[in-house]
Amino acid sequence: MIRIKANNLHREFGSGRTKTHVLRGVSLQVSDGEFVGIMGRSGAGKSTLLYQLSLLDKPSEGEIFLNGVEVSLLSDHEQTIFRLLHLGFVFQDYALVPDLTASENVLIPLLMRGIDYETANKTAEDCLDAVGLDQRYGHLPGMLSGGEQQRVSIARAIAGKPDILFADEPTANLDSMSGKQVIELLTKLNREGQTIVLVTHEKEYSKNCHRVIKMDDGKIVS
Amino acid sequence: MNALKVGWLLGLRQIQRASWWTTGLIISVMTLTFLNLVAISGILVGIVDGAVRSAYEYSLGDIIISPLDTENRILQTPSLIRTLETYPEIKKYSVRHSTNALVEANFRERRNLRGERDIVMANIVGIDPVLEDNMVSLSEFVVEGEYISDTEDGQILLGAYFVDRYAEQFGDIFDSLSDIVPGDIVRIGSGERAREFTVKGIVKSKRDEVSLSIYMPEREFRRTFGRLDHDANLIVVRTQPNTNRVELRDALKASGLDRQAKIQTFEDALPKFLTDIRDTFNILGLLVGSIGIVVASISIFIIIFINALSRRRHIGILKAIGIDPRAIEIAYVIQASGYALVGSFLGALIIYLFLVPYFNANPIDFPFSDGVLLAEPLGTFIRFAVLFLVTLVAGFLPAWMIVRQNTLSAILGRK
Repeated sequence: MIRIKANNLHREFGSGRTKTHVLRGVSLQVSDGEFVGIMGRSGAGKSTLLYQLSLLDKPSEGEIFLNGVEVSLLSDHEQTIFRLLHLGFVFQDYALVPDLTASENVLIPLLMRGIDYETANKTAEDCLDAVGLDQRYGHLPGMLSGGEQQRVSIARAIAGKPDILFADEPTANLDSMSGKQVIELLTKLNREGQTIVLVTHEKEYSKNCHRVIKMDDGKIVS
Repeated sequence: MNALKVGWLLGLRQIQRASWWTTGLIISVMTLTFLNLVAISGILVGIVDGAVRSAYEYSLGDIIISPLDTENRILQTPSLIRTLETYPEIKKYSVRHSTNALVEANFRERRNLRGERDIVMANIVGIDPVLEDNMVSLSEFVVEGEYISDTEDGQILLGAYFVDRYAEQFGDIFDSLSDIVPGDIVRIGSGERAREFTVKGIVKSKRDEVSLSIYMPEREFRRTFGRLDHDANLIVVRTQPNTNRVELRDALKASGLDRQAKIQTFEDALPKFLTDIRDTFNILGLLVGSIGIVVASISIFIIIFINALSRRRHIGILKAIGIDPRAIEIAYVIQASGYALVGSFLGALIIYLFLVPYFNANPIDFPFSDGVLLAEPLGTFIRFAVLFLVTLVAGFLPAWMIVRQNTLSAILGRK
C-alpha cells in the first residue's frame, strides 16, 4: 500500500526579486512500513518537503496523496483532523507543552480523538513504558533530560497509532548517546510496522533507513 | 465536546502551573475591579439609601397618614386613631400637629419697640412626647439640655438650625436666634396669642425637618394656637415586623379611613427626588465601574495576549499534532474565567465580610445622611456576571488572534 505519494511539488516563498524557490518539482512515494530518510545539506529543502508531506504547509504547486486521499485539497480544519487521526510528529526540539506532565502530553491527542480520560491515561502510560520512561509519568518536561523529552515526544507521536510518523531531525539537539537511543527506538517502531519519514543530516543514523532520499537545491538528487 | 475536554485540561494546567506572582497580580486586578464596580456605586447609592433609612427610622415609619388633598388636617383624628388601635399589625404610632409661627428670643432684653428683634419663623410641632419618642427616638437627638415631658408646662425643644452656632455653616440661608441655650425663654406666636416658653433642649438631626422644627406637647400646642379640635396634621405608624405595608394600607383604606385622610406606605410617601437621586447615583456608579471594567478587560487582554504570544510556538505544535484550535481558545477562556471567578469571589468576601459590616458600624458622615455601602446580592451578582462576560471576551480575543496564525509560522517562530 502506498502511504505517501507526492507529484511535482513546488514551494516558493516571497515574490518578485525576493522570491525563493525551495522545492522544485519533487515527486516521491513511500510505501506502508517503509523507513525513509531524507538527507541533504542545510537549505536543501528537506524540512520544507517534510512540512508539505505532513500537512503543516501547503505546496505552491503539485499534489499530495496520503493513504490515497488527496490531502492538498482539504481545508485547514480537515487537515487538522487528518493530522490527528493519521499522522504522528517528532520535532527537533521535542515540542512538549511545558504545563503538562509527561503522561498528559501523551494523552492530549487521545482526548482530542474522543477517548475517555482513564483509557487515554492508560494508553499514555503504556507508550511511556514502551519508550523506557515508566518512572516519569508525572514529571513536567522541565524536569526531564533532552533525551527523555524526545522520548516523551515519540510516545506522544505513536500513542494514536498513526499511519505515518514524521520525524524532523529528532537527534539534532541530543548528545550522541541519547541520539542513538532515539534512532534505535524509531527503528524498533518501524520493525513493528510503523511507516516513518525521517529528516536527518547525520549519515550514521540514515543507515537504519530502508531508503535514503538525498536532496539538493530543492530537488531530489538520488 | 472533545475540544472542551482538552481545553479544560490545558486551561486548568495553565492556571496551576503559572507563576504565583503573576497569578496573584492578575487576581488582585480582578478583585480591585470587582470592588470598584460594586463598592463605588454601592456607596453612591448608600448615601441616598442612608437618607431614606433615616427618613423611615427617624421620621416617617411604615404607614403615613396625612390630610386629604382638599383639607389642611386629618378629619376626625380621634376616631381615626381609635380605628388604628384595633389593628394588631400596628405596633406604635405618633400624632403630629403643626403650624408656622414667629419665635422671638430677645423680647426681654430689647429696650424699645424699635430695637432689632431676634426672631425666626418656625414650624411648630405639637406631639405626645412619649409616643413621638417611642416612634422616632426623638430624645436621641437632644444635643443640649433635656427632652420634654408631657407633665411640664411651658417647655419646648428647639431645632438646632434655629440656633446661630449650629446654623452658621449655612450662612444666611435661614434666620437663627442668637446665643440660645437650654433654660432661655423665647416667645412663640404673635399678638395676644403669644406665649413664653423655656427652651428645655436643643435637637439636631441629619433629618433637616427635625433640626428645623420646634417641638412642644400637644396640649400646649392646642392652647397656644387655639386649636379646639384634635385634628392632626400627620400620623406616622410603625408596624409589627414582617407586616406587608401595602396590604395594611389597603386594609385601612377599605375600612373607610381614606375618606378622612390620605393613607400611604413609606414607599408611596417617599419624595420623588430621593428615588431620582438614587437612580442617578446608581448610573454614576455604573459609569465609574464601567471604566474599571474596561481597564480590567484591557489588563486581562494584555496578560492573555502576552501569555499566548509567548506560547505561540506551543500553540503551533498543539495544532500540528491535531488539537482543535477551539480547544486552545477554550483553554485561554478557562484561564481568564478562573481569574475572574477567584477575583470576584475574593471581592465579594471583602465586600460582605468586611466593607458592608464596617460601613454599617461606621457610616460615612454626610451632611444629610449617614452613608452606608449598599450591596444588594442581585445587583452584585449582575455586576459579577458583566465582569465575568467581559473577562471571557478579553481572554478569548488574544487567544483567537494567536491561534488563527499559520501553524508552521508559529512553530518556526516566523512573523
